[in-house]
Amino acid sequence: MSGGEELGVEALYGLHQAELRRLLLARTGDLGEAEDLLQELWVRVRQRPAGPVANGRAYLFRMAQNMMVDRLRERQRRMARDRRWADQETDFAAPGIEPVDGHDNAEQQMIAREEVATLTSAIANLPGGARRAFELHKLEGLSHAEVAARLGISKSGVEKHMAVAMKYLRRALSDWGKG
Amino acid sequence: MTAQSEIDEGLIEQALHWQTALESDDADWDGYMSWLEADTRHREAFDAVALVSAAVDEHKDAVRALVEARAGAQDGTERRRPGRKMWLWGGGAAAALALVAAVPMLRAPEMAVDYAADAGASRSLALAGGTHVMLSPQSRIVVHGKDATRIEMASGEAYFSVRHDPARSLTVQVGSYRITDIGTRFSVNISDGGFRVAVSEGAVGVSSEGADGEVRVTAGHQLMARQGDALALSPVAPEEIGSWRQGRLSYSNAPLSLVAADISRYSGKRIIVDPALEASHFSGTLVIGDGSRLLGDLAGVMDLSVRAENGGVRLGRAGGR
Repeated sequence: MSGGEELGVEALYGLHQAELRRLLLARTGDLGEAEDLLQELWVRVRQRPAGPVANGRAYLFRMAQNMMVDRLRERQRRMARDRRWADQETDFAAPGIEPVDGHDNAEQQMIAREEVATLTSAIANLPGGARRAFELHKLEGLSHAEVAARLGISKSGVEKHMAVAMKYLRRALSDWGKG
Repeated sequence: MTAQSEIDEGLIEQALHWQTALESDDADWDGYMSWLEADTRHREAFDAVALVSAAVDEHKDAVRALVEARAGAQDGTERRRPGRKMWLWGGGAAAALALVAAVPMLRAPEMAVDYAADAGASRSLALAGGTHVMLSPQSRIVVHGKDATRIEMASGEAYFSVRHDPARSLTVQVGSYRITDIGTRFSVNISDGGFRVAVSEGAVGVSSEGADGEVRVTAGHQLMARQGDALALSPVAPEEIGSWRQGRLSYSNAPLSLVAADISRYSGKRIIVDPALEASHFSGTLVIGDGSRLLGDLAGVMDLSVRAENGGVRLGRAGGR
């Protein structure tokens, strides 16, 4: 079943709702959050143009996956912001009070800047092989096979390097969020 | 989300596998869901991969530029690809410097103390929190706050020794650039042609108000901005940094405008650099003495002409106009 019959996206949602719930539950491990995300997905689906969607099941699954990533990113930024507020009580209003727009914007920029710095320094500190594989794949956009050829290692060697890189960077990002 | 727990590399590898597999049109979503459901650690691994990928993708250009700049500085070569420059931020670096003098006056009613060194003598300052500053002749800084955690560079050159204290970080504002540091030694030089930050111990971060990202400058490196250009990172011998404190001016591939600005401060002469020399750089050491021979020595070493002009002097190509 690959959505070959070109249904509209709302009809597709109806067809795949149960599966989407299963995906979101597997992804979050929390029924309440899964239902919440499903609701949000439904709202987004309804905002789409009504026309038919090719490969509709994969389309909906990807939407759900992207929403999950957006949530994770949002959570991370919030932690970074909370930490900044705790650090800089003198510069900002008390924690818990939303900053005004201009301020918010400056702070978002600051957080983005910090995130870039965190990533850059974490990448620089990766073990050599992992760093090269990561830079070629993620920053230069080479495929795993191309990275393997460039570095003269096997594809599974590239995958191992990438796993090491992900593990390091994940720790760097979560330390940054935690302060 | 158990953000701090370690994740097994093998699981991350599996997650990466799924991440790639799901991009394909006939992806095995059932297999993916079964994998997720098999072990709660699987979704943590997938979260980790998804989060890092999203963060990197979002900031890809900035991260790539910084990674390349750093790599170039570390092997002492510029790992440039054709058509790509190592400059980090768009132009206007120096344009923003012009504002520096006005800034201190506009700030909130916070304690600000102005320190300046006259011509002919450097000045040593001990600030709150164990920060030591050596001001080069004809230089000025503004220190903000009673704990001296924010310093504004107004003119000339200063060498900072900052005591390591995790609870406190020092910020040096240079125009629209901000240098952040926790325990290190570095020198900052500002002139109307641009600025230079050179680190002899530890590391500092440099960020710009107008741009994303922070450049980390580690010991043995300098970050320079010239009028119209963005920032460039390059290696420098640590013993050269702040060598004016020992009576020498040492440079590694420094723009001539920056060297001229230094000499101008020491000699009290206004120096105009001929536009034809705009791209010239100087590497070497000059002995300061009483400052009067610096210009002649530089001109001799670089084979330049010196002519009097409008109460100052003009540096040009020897044999030129």
